[in-house]
Amino acid sequence: MTTDDHEERELGTALRKAFPAVDTELRRDLWPEFRRRLEKPAIRVPWYDWALAAVVIVSVAIFPKLVLWFAYQL
Amino acid sequence: MNQHPYLRAYMAGIVFPTVLLLIWLTLFCIYRYAFLMPLPIERAIIFPMAVVPNVFGLWNILFIKLHQHWRLPIGLHGAVLPLLLGPVGVAFMSAMGFLEITGRGLIYFGAFRIPYWYVAVAPFIALTVYYLIWKYIVGFLNRVLGIAD
Repeated sequence: MTTDDHEERELGTALRKAFPAVDTELRRDLWPEFRRRLEKPAIRVPWYDWALAAVVIVSVAIFPKLVLWFAYQL
Repeated sequence: MNQHPYLRAYMAGIVFPTVLLLIWLTLFCIYRYAFLMPLPIERAIIFPMAVVPNVFGLWNILFIKLHQHWRLPIGLHGAVLPLLLGPVGVAFMSAMGFLEITGRGLIYFGAFRIPYWYVAVAPFIALTVYYLIWKYIVGFLNRVLGIAD
């Protein structure tokens, strides 16, 4: 055993004392959360929102000058 | 640890009107400088630049605060906003001289005439537009920032 080995072991011991081992295990199981996200449906737009959007588009087509007003207010 | 929900709510609220402002400003500049229309941008831009984004942000903060006690849908919460912002906008434009109230209708920027019967229809369209914007855009941003329930 050389002096270098001895010093290396002492250095390793000192470092292990200064920096305790980190717990790398997961604190909780992530799979249920992941599965919930997969099963969560994408954003669904109900039919009345489509109807409202159509009303807005038709209104803007009939009253195009209102776009100016909304552009300013928005 | 404080996650700053109200700061995030403000940030989520200001996104849409700020992005729209860029489009509005571009069109404004084209109208002013390409068509050489005498339009004071520096006065006209105050309302959509300074007032509207801040009101959106504060309104979203109010939504987050109220949502803790009262399960109000965000679309309905947003639909109420034009009832406040509309009259304020009209008052602002009248004060700045961009809106003239004449016997034949409203004249915007001295160039665009809007008949009064348009004004009867506009609040309903405004409510619908704000409802859709708040439900799908601001609601989405709230979910992204983790402040939506």
